[in-house]
Amino acid sequence: MRAGALSLRLVLRTLSELCVTAGTLIILFVVHLLFWTGVRADRAMDGEVDRLQHSWSQSQRAHPRPSSTAGSPRPGRDAPAPPASGTYREGKAFAVMYIPRLGHGWHKPVLEGTSTGVLRRGLGHYTGTARLGATGNFSVAGHRRTYGDPFKDFPRLRPGDPVVLTDGASWYTYRIDTRPYRTLPSDVGVIDPVPARSGFTGPGRYLTLTTCDPEWGHSHRLIVWAHLDARHPVGEGKPEALNG
Amino acid sequence: MYGWIWRHLPGNAWVRAAISLVLVLAVVYVLFQYIFPWAEPLLPFGDVTVDNNGGASR
Repeated sequence: MRAGALSLRLVLRTLSELCVTAGTLIILFVVHLLFWTGVRADRAMDGEVDRLQHSWSQSQRAHPRPSSTAGSPRPGRDAPAPPASGTYREGKAFAVMYIPRLGHGWHKPVLEGTSTGVLRRGLGHYTGTARLGATGNFSVAGHRRTYGDPFKDFPRLRPGDPVVLTDGASWYTYRIDTRPYRTLPSDVGVIDPVPARSGFTGPGRYLTLTTCDPEWGHSHRLIVWAHLDARHPVGEGKPEALNG
Repeated sequence: MYGWIWRHLPGNAWVRAAISLVLVLAVVYVLFQYIFPWAEPLLPFGDVTVDNNGGASR
C-alpha cells in the first residue's frame, strides 16, 4: 500500500517534470525564432555589407575610374567580387538592396543562391536568373519572418516604389509595377525572363522579389515585379530615390 | 528526474546550485547553437522561394 503510493508519487513527479521541461523547450524555441535568429541575421547581414563595401573601396582604390561600363577591370588579389563582372559565387554577397518603403535605412545584402543557409545571411538571388541590371529577370527571395524579418512589410509595396541596388560600380533603380501578387509555391513562372502574370509584354530588365505568405505560413508566395528605371555610376552619388 | 540529478551532484547545496546553473547554461547553449538551427528549417518560416522540387528551400 505504502510502496504503491510512493511509486505513484514518483510517476506523477516525473511526468510533471517532463511537462515542465517540454514547456520550457517550446518557450526557448520561440525565443530562438523570434529573437535570436534576428540578432544573428542582423549581425551576419551587417558583416556581409561591411565586407562588400570594404572590397568595393579596395577595388576602387586599385582601379579608380569615374564611370562604369560593361567591360570591366579585373582586380586581382583579394577583391572577391569585382563589381559588375565575374560570376556570382554561391553564398557570396555581390550587391546591397535598398527599399525605402520597407523603412528608412532598410538595406540588405544580396547573396547568390536561395538555400536555407544563404537566406539566413541576407536576401538570395535565384541562381540562373538574370544578373543585376541585365536583360532578363533578376530574381531575389527573402525571409518574411524570422532571421531579421527582412520582408516583413512586403504587402505594403506599391507600384512606383523604388528598389535600389548597388554592386559597387553602379546604382540600379528599379520601379515596382505591380501590387504584391499572391501565388502558389510551385508557380516558378514568376521568375521567368518575361513573367506571364506581371503585365510585361516583351524582354526587358526586370526584377522579381519573392517571399512567403501568409506571414508565418508557407502555403503561398507573395511576388512583386519591377523594371529597371535608371542606372548611374556610383561616382554620381546616391540616386535620388534614396534621398527622399 | 531533477531530484535524482540533484542528489548525484557533489558538494554542499551552494556547489550543487552552481553546477546546476552551469548545466542549464550548457543545455541552453547546445539548444541555440545546434538543435534549434537544425529544427528550424523543418518549420515553414523559411519557405520563401518558388520552386518545383523543393530542393532550393524547404
